[in-house]
Amino acid sequence: MSRPPLPNAPLDPITIEIVASAFRSVVDETFIALMKSAYSTNIKERHDHSTAICDRDGRLIVQAEMSLPIHIASMTGLMETILAKYRLEDIAEGDVFVANDPHVAGGTHLPDINYAAPLFLGDELVGFVCNIAHHADIGGMVPGSMAGGMSEIYQEGLRIPLVRLFRKGELQQDLMDIFLLNARIPDERRGDHFAQIAACRLGVRRVKEIGERYGVATIRQVFDELVTRTKARMREAIAGVPDGTYRFEDVMDDDGVATVDIPIRLAIIISGDRAVFDWRGSSPQVSGNINVPINATKAAVAYGLRALLDPDIPNNQGILDCCELVTDEGSIVDCRAPAPVAARAHTSQRLIDIIIGAFAQAIPERAVGASNGANTTAVFSGKDPRTGRDYLYFETLGGGFGGRNDRDGKDGVQVHITNTSNLPIEAIETEYPLRVVSYGFVEDSGGAGRHRGGGGLRRVIQPIGHHCLFNGAGERFRNAPWGIFGGSSGRTGRYVLNGKDGETVLDVKPSGVTVGPDEQVVIETPGSGGYGPPAEREPADLRDDLRSGKYSRAFLEKHYPAAKLSD
Amino acid sequence: MQADDWLVGVDVGGTFTDFYAFDRASGTVALHKTSSTPDNAADAIVSGLRELAEKTGFPLAAVRNLAHGTTVATNALIQRRGARVAVVTTQNFRDLVEIGRQIRPKLYDLKADHPMPLAPREMRFEVRERIGAAGEVVTALDEASVDAVIDKLKACEAEAVAIAFLFSYLNPTHEEAVKARIQAALPKIAISTSSEVQPEFREYERSSTTLLNAYLQPAFSHYMTTLKDALAEMSPQATVGINQSSGGLMSVDKARDFPIRTALSGPAAGAMGAIHTARLSGRANIVTLDMGGTSADVALIRNLETKLSFDRDVAGFPVRMPMVDINTVGAGGGSLAWFDRDGLVKVGPVSAGAVPGPACYGRGGTEPTVTDANVVLGRLSGHGLLGGAMTLDVEASRRAVGKIADKLGFSIERTAKGILDIVSANMVRAIRAISVERGHDPREFVLMPFGGAGPLHAEGCARALGITEIIIPYSPGILCAQGLLVADRAESFVRSGRLALAEENASELAQLVSSMMAEAEGWWEAEAVEPQARSRKLAIDMRYASQNYELQVGVDELPSVDDLRRMFFEAHEQAYGFHNPADPVDVMAVRLTALGRLPSPGTPPVGADASATPEPRTHRPVWFDGEAAVETPIYDRAAFAPGTRIEGPAVIDQFDATSLLFPGDTAHVDDALNIVITRGDAS
Repeated sequence: MSRPPLPNAPLDPITIEIVASAFRSVVDETFIALMKSAYSTNIKERHDHSTAICDRDGRLIVQAEMSLPIHIASMTGLMETILAKYRLEDIAEGDVFVANDPHVAGGTHLPDINYAAPLFLGDELVGFVCNIAHHADIGGMVPGSMAGGMSEIYQEGLRIPLVRLFRKGELQQDLMDIFLLNARIPDERRGDHFAQIAACRLGVRRVKEIGERYGVATIRQVFDELVTRTKARMREAIAGVPDGTYRFEDVMDDDGVATVDIPIRLAIIISGDRAVFDWRGSSPQVSGNINVPINATKAAVAYGLRALLDPDIPNNQGILDCCELVTDEGSIVDCRAPAPVAARAHTSQRLIDIIIGAFAQAIPERAVGASNGANTTAVFSGKDPRTGRDYLYFETLGGGFGGRNDRDGKDGVQVHITNTSNLPIEAIETEYPLRVVSYGFVEDSGGAGRHRGGGGLRRVIQPIGHHCLFNGAGERFRNAPWGIFGGSSGRTGRYVLNGKDGETVLDVKPSGVTVGPDEQVVIETPGSGGYGPPAEREPADLRDDLRSGKYSRAFLEKHYPAAKLSD
Repeated sequence: MQADDWLVGVDVGGTFTDFYAFDRASGTVALHKTSSTPDNAADAIVSGLRELAEKTGFPLAAVRNLAHGTTVATNALIQRRGARVAVVTTQNFRDLVEIGRQIRPKLYDLKADHPMPLAPREMRFEVRERIGAAGEVVTALDEASVDAVIDKLKACEAEAVAIAFLFSYLNPTHEEAVKARIQAALPKIAISTSSEVQPEFREYERSSTTLLNAYLQPAFSHYMTTLKDALAEMSPQATVGINQSSGGLMSVDKARDFPIRTALSGPAAGAMGAIHTARLSGRANIVTLDMGGTSADVALIRNLETKLSFDRDVAGFPVRMPMVDINTVGAGGGSLAWFDRDGLVKVGPVSAGAVPGPACYGRGGTEPTVTDANVVLGRLSGHGLLGGAMTLDVEASRRAVGKIADKLGFSIERTAKGILDIVSANMVRAIRAISVERGHDPREFVLMPFGGAGPLHAEGCARALGITEIIIPYSPGILCAQGLLVADRAESFVRSGRLALAEENASELAQLVSSMMAEAEGWWEAEAVEPQARSRKLAIDMRYASQNYELQVGVDELPSVDDLRRMFFEAHEQAYGFHNPADPVDVMAVRLTALGRLPSPGTPPVGADASATPEPRTHRPVWFDGEAAVETPIYDRAAFAPGTRIEGPAVIDQFDATSLLFPGDTAHVDDALNIVITRGDAS
């Protein structure tokens, strides 16, 4: 798209910083407003949402500080779809666009509903205010719309192509009725939709105020400058990595339907200030729902570049422009309809481990051991015997974060592509007829090393006074998170049903497990890999491992045979 | 009235301890500043009081009220100088304080972690017990498991212990029983229970707050005891109050038990001082800007009241307690200007600190700071700070700012203005977060700058926010100590739970309020608050049944259920721009604050040499908006009497701060000696 030349003289770095500061204020404000007014636990407690401003070419300009890495490409995916479907002159003030579909509307899985409102300054369309939020349910085969066992996207819930939910400020109630009829617990979903709409309107109002202060031309110049400068900054960081081709591969445990040990391969080719990520040779897309749309693969690459090369770089199109991808169409990293994708975040985590594994050869001091590599998911649903109403409790649990060159990994934390909070136990038990029996670290789960890997989490849940359904999705339950530079692997995760007949280990991606009031579901998330040879671990650190009870004497004696463990 | 009737405010900061004393009999005001004594902060208070009394000439025995604000707790947390502390939790939950919310502090930084808990894992012990979501006992307290914990506490030589069980905010009996048993066995150990420290929903935040409290207890207790004993001897008639983060005073004994309540003690005092100043100036709605050397605190005051917030990080740990809703940003006089890797200019959050400090201090600093930018523009005099006690090296500032200017191709003055614009933009973001983002239009507020650097930067912030009026208090550098004089004694009561906002629950709500009223009566009695000095505030926290964040409405008396619902809808509309009329609403907490008013100081006296038509002390070139400097009159603030009117440009110097009038601005001095500025582009 061509645009008229910009009339203003070049902007100085001080003015750009001041206007950019105002934009950052807007996306942070809309982020908080959405979090506080939403009804989905995913949004209000776990912050599984993002807010942003894009320009009228669909470029991402600024994203809220707390936005999730995986949402970055989803937003630009929606932008591409809008700009492909509509001419700019067909877009009016007061319109609101909605979409979620990964195959036709740039999304990455169905529960993430994308909103965008056009931003007019005077008569001129200058951009869009966007947000994306993970709704607790979008319909489909199972409550929570996330469990394993699905083989087509049609089973995963309502597919929303790009639609215009508001036309010139007027709600198209028919569309909203379709959204709500197709979701479990529609009252809650209505609350989430209204929170997203309000956040869009708030963002539009705020950017207009900035526009009135600085004028359209300056606003557009700042948009340009931010992207250009970030891109140059990222290019410079890439240039600091030695030229070469760096390869790595890993496998996914299981697609929840048929296939196990699914290979993913990467070659990163660094040449000057360019980095090409060549994923060819990775597995074809699979029947289960761990396929990754190309936008989510791009988000993983953007995360890897930023985390390894320049953690403080602003999140905007400039980074995405540096992500050059080569893929096989129809592969697990570039899937095509009707591939199911609900659990694509698991694969995204693996993609990042692979990116880090490949870069480790070039920049060892910035690499980390493989982390828990999963979004270990637990969904409990049923009818609350206290109220007779349906309930749905969804959560993803953190695990080990890999060992680092200068310190141990972190125990029990969300890693890489996600950073969602846990739900307080007092919130779980107040809202749902469930008891949390225990919550803590898994002993011996972080891999040994000079700097050990972080350990996984264990949470045990029991339904109170009723039978409930459990659905889960795990990863690194078969293939352990690897150590790096001689560090050992961390422990794998697992789901266990503790019933009258004792322990039953469940599938990696269990679906529709009935749990009685005398039974418990045990969720154990994977640990992570260590960094450097175990023989180089400091004796003081080993004493801590033992004293804290995070490691057994037997484990330490086995992995650090030379060490003296007297307290 | 008797001869002497002194009220003293003492604000202990990390570097200085400030005193603001006022004699109600004569109207005399006395100020004093002394170096803080970090090992036992009480020492500086005691010696400073003696110096103050001697220099002013009043007997310490004439002190009636001493109000004290302190950063001792906060600094002990930041520097990790607390007790050897243990935690006792519900069985199977000792890792809770380490897991926290399972999130990373910085999304993209592979090496940034939240700090480890103050109690290491081997000092976190479990007791067999369990309370359920309705407050019911699911598993009875197993006393043998408590005795086992007592043995471990002894073995690990814990000095303090935090007891934090699940759902203890609904049913504290297990925590109380465990506390009693530990106390009986180990009388020397300091104990905090989560149901006493902050009986509210969300176990991690409650446990963290309780752990912090226990960690602070032993040292704080020593400090409070020293202070109490010394004052009992020096000023036996004085009522002593310790300022809480919520902006009210508590007794020394309360402070000893709940040191975490002082986490925001100093900044809360600043807000109190601002309210007092606002009242004297006849203004009700204020945005405060307290800017010091490394950071700026901003707060919103509406109808002469601050809002409270309940969640805040202190030294990297979450604290849940009522606290004055203050937003802090890394913007101060010492904030450094630097180029980011994308070529944009940033200011702060890194600060030059006291050493080396800004380049102009001549202590070895060479990097440009906000203070250097002010020096370059002639806004700060080279003749110095603190009444000339410290001269500034103008050339050093020019060299430092010149480093940025060379890269930009700008003049040094234009660069300095840019640095100040950026630091203003950072503070404006912080102000927007507490005003616009809470549904308040800052244009309806007056900006009140204080702290050493606040008055220099008020114009830039006011301009960006569309604020037309600026009020500079009588003594901006010492407003926190002054604010302590006007703080009331206060105690907060809370009932946290979940009650549907429905007619059938109206009587339960009423009962909650009346049981809290009974507790308030008890507190008034215990604190010997005279009946005519008693007052109270009631607030209800509500949310939609499906939300997790509450909105608070303040009321005089408990209104009807329908009125409460209507008030919630209004609050939701104001905060988020919409409400859902058909959706169920829950009451999540009822809060009652009991207040005991203390005698209030009057207005400060007018100086002997003051006049309503003061003459400038000198003139010098100062850069404001234009490319060129303007020859600007420099005034001494002490020369201003009520009724003074001056027009900008002007620089107004005083002992603890420098204020600016931009060209076009007009200022007048009100009866309380505050400077009220009407901005030039306002009309």
